[in-house]
Amino acid sequence: MNFELSETQSILKDSVERFIAESYSLDKRQSLVKSELGFSQDNWKKMAELGWLSITVPESAGGFGGNQIDSMIMMEEFGKGLVLEPFFISTVVAGQILCELGNEEQKQDWLTGLITGDCQLTFAYAEEQARFDLEDVLTRAKPDEKGGFIIDGTKSMVLYAASADAMIVSCRTSGGQYEKKGITLFLVPKDLKGVHIDSFETVDGQRAAEVRFENVRVDGNALLGEEGVAFSTIKRAQQIGILALCAEATGIMECLYKDTASYTQDREQFDRPMSEFQVIQHRLVDMFMEYEQCKSMLLRATLEFVHNPDGSSRSIHALKYLVGKTAKFIGENAIQLHGGMGMTEELNIAHYFKRLLTIDILFGNSDYHLEKFAA
Amino acid sequence: MDINLNQEELSFQADVKEFLSENAHQPGTDYNEWRLNWFKVAASKGGWDVPKWPEAFGGPGWSPTQHYIWEQETSRAQTPWDLPFGLSMLAPVLMNYGSKEQQDRFLPDIRNRVVNWCQGYSEPNAGSDLANLKTKATLSEDGTHYLVNGTKVWTTLAHIADWMFCLTRTNETGKKQEGITFLLIPMKQDGIEVKPIITLGGSHSVNMVHITDVKVPVENRIGEENKGWGYAKGLLAHERTGLAGISRSIVALESLKKQAGSVKRGNGNLMDEPTFKLKVAELEADLMAVEYTELRSLANAASGNEPGPESSILKLKGTEIQQRLQRLTMEAGGIYSSAWGMSNVGPSFARSGMSGYLSSRAFTIYGGASEVQKDVVAKNVLGLKK
Repeated sequence: MNFELSETQSILKDSVERFIAESYSLDKRQSLVKSELGFSQDNWKKMAELGWLSITVPESAGGFGGNQIDSMIMMEEFGKGLVLEPFFISTVVAGQILCELGNEEQKQDWLTGLITGDCQLTFAYAEEQARFDLEDVLTRAKPDEKGGFIIDGTKSMVLYAASADAMIVSCRTSGGQYEKKGITLFLVPKDLKGVHIDSFETVDGQRAAEVRFENVRVDGNALLGEEGVAFSTIKRAQQIGILALCAEATGIMECLYKDTASYTQDREQFDRPMSEFQVIQHRLVDMFMEYEQCKSMLLRATLEFVHNPDGSSRSIHALKYLVGKTAKFIGENAIQLHGGMGMTEELNIAHYFKRLLTIDILFGNSDYHLEKFAA
Repeated sequence: MDINLNQEELSFQADVKEFLSENAHQPGTDYNEWRLNWFKVAASKGGWDVPKWPEAFGGPGWSPTQHYIWEQETSRAQTPWDLPFGLSMLAPVLMNYGSKEQQDRFLPDIRNRVVNWCQGYSEPNAGSDLANLKTKATLSEDGTHYLVNGTKVWTTLAHIADWMFCLTRTNETGKKQEGITFLLIPMKQDGIEVKPIITLGGSHSVNMVHITDVKVPVENRIGEENKGWGYAKGLLAHERTGLAGISRSIVALESLKKQAGSVKRGNGNLMDEPTFKLKVAELEADLMAVEYTELRSLANAASGNEPGPESSILKLKGTEIQQRLQRLTMEAGGIYSSAWGMSNVGPSFARSGMSGYLSSRAFTIYGGASEVQKDVVAKNVLGLKK
């Protein structure tokens, strides 16, 4: 048994840490949030140059053939820096689907660009009536006479849709609204006629969009994998996405409890540092304990997934539940112990908490996964 | 023991209901005109525009039960927006400690809602430990005015305020509480600089206020020099009981149930989902209990007793419940709760979910952080010594 990082993993962690320290001060981040794009193309290029965009791509497809432990290491650090670039949705989630289902031509067209940073993808899976259920799909794709498909429907909270070159879209090609069978994935270039993107800034400073597909015609080569059987791929993308998001959240929670402990040591009230009050000490210990529990669960779920993807779903449900619950506990207390300062946009605290709350609603919130875990 | 309203109280309740429905805002008509008129009509009912003011100052002189009925009815009806700073925070201080001249000068404008006040209490190093405040007021040699210098923070609506009631330091030796003076300072003058603080819900309501060489005439001092802490303390207790917001939470719970009920899940809705349903049920049970805590406290006051131990938990429990309501509203909003500022994405209640929740985190910080409140309960109610 061994929880130490390997030498390559340590180097990766160090290099991400250095990138955050150099490029991600809160001021710089907030000016990116206010920019039209919402992130930095220079940073994205840098990430590509450092090889981070190809780490989880198989060697056969020109990547490093890394696994979820590598993405965990990166995402934890990205969390600490509140990184805005769409690494999560483009590289981790969409990249995974493309590697799994893409044919040679599709990989040639898109995967190369993903690795070099020349293109970005996103994944459009959520629909309003579905809440968090991946199989509840109303967006329809109907075959036309020329071997293509016509897509109609609306997808919600599509992350970084406005800056992506194409979207992977889950569509119903057969079966009823709640059926796992009959769901098909398509790779839809963003500039096709009938694709309407209504983009906005989410609470955490990232970007999302409501995307409407109105009689959008795609060619036969937009089809990813086989018709009607994409659910297991979607499910796996969700699992990999959850592992990455929870790693990001764990990195954030580490900063939150540490920053709060240090603030209470500096801040004096009633003629002594706040940290000398027992009620404050115990609260900080609780925050620390709950953080460590998340870290353990993150390692458990990640290692189980790496060794046996099909047997890891209960651990992944438990992880998303625990991280969502703990995020609120640690975030609420970080603000409470910072008092008025915790309520401002001037410290990292508020921004960390906003990101944690947004992570909770991606790929199913805490309650949703607790119910799945209990089922 | 009897919880039923008597005949007189029932007819008062009917009267209030009638007043509220007759004077509701008609869509399409001017809001501000309606607002000012509403207060005039309320005044003509015999002080209904200033329900909490004592009879001697034009208030209605209601019993605690009548206040409770008013709270309940107004939390369900549309009443015009109103600010607590002049009306419920400064006015009682003026009435108890201000001179006749100060009362005549300030109370009418407060009552007519024509002058806005803000509260200059907290400072960068005086939050929970308010008595540590350092904003300095020095009396001029001729004794005609104070020269004030310092910084106030978290000052709600300072940017629209005409006046600030301000705690200042006039004595730096001895007990911190015994060197504080209560001054009234006009905001629109050189030397007052208001800087917005954007809070994490994304909104601007609090500010930093820098006060530089501002001359305040001694006529603007409430009571005696160095006695301001005593005046302010009474006011803080007043602020705290008003923060429990229990009737409003009851109404908010009703809308939460409706909103969650509108979120479709298969053939049912979110209120059918066990995890969510149980959280709402837990909250409702707590709210039912705290509603009676408030009633016990009112009944106690009605019989002319000092506030009982139960009243000390009202702000703590009340704000905790308000926060849980905001949290559940955010959770009900699901994926749309982070879509602030959008007009057409998901259900409308959902989009403000996260920002509402984030703003609600301040409830357990302002007006005395919960940790400090618990210290007060431990010491004053349970008699525990440090």
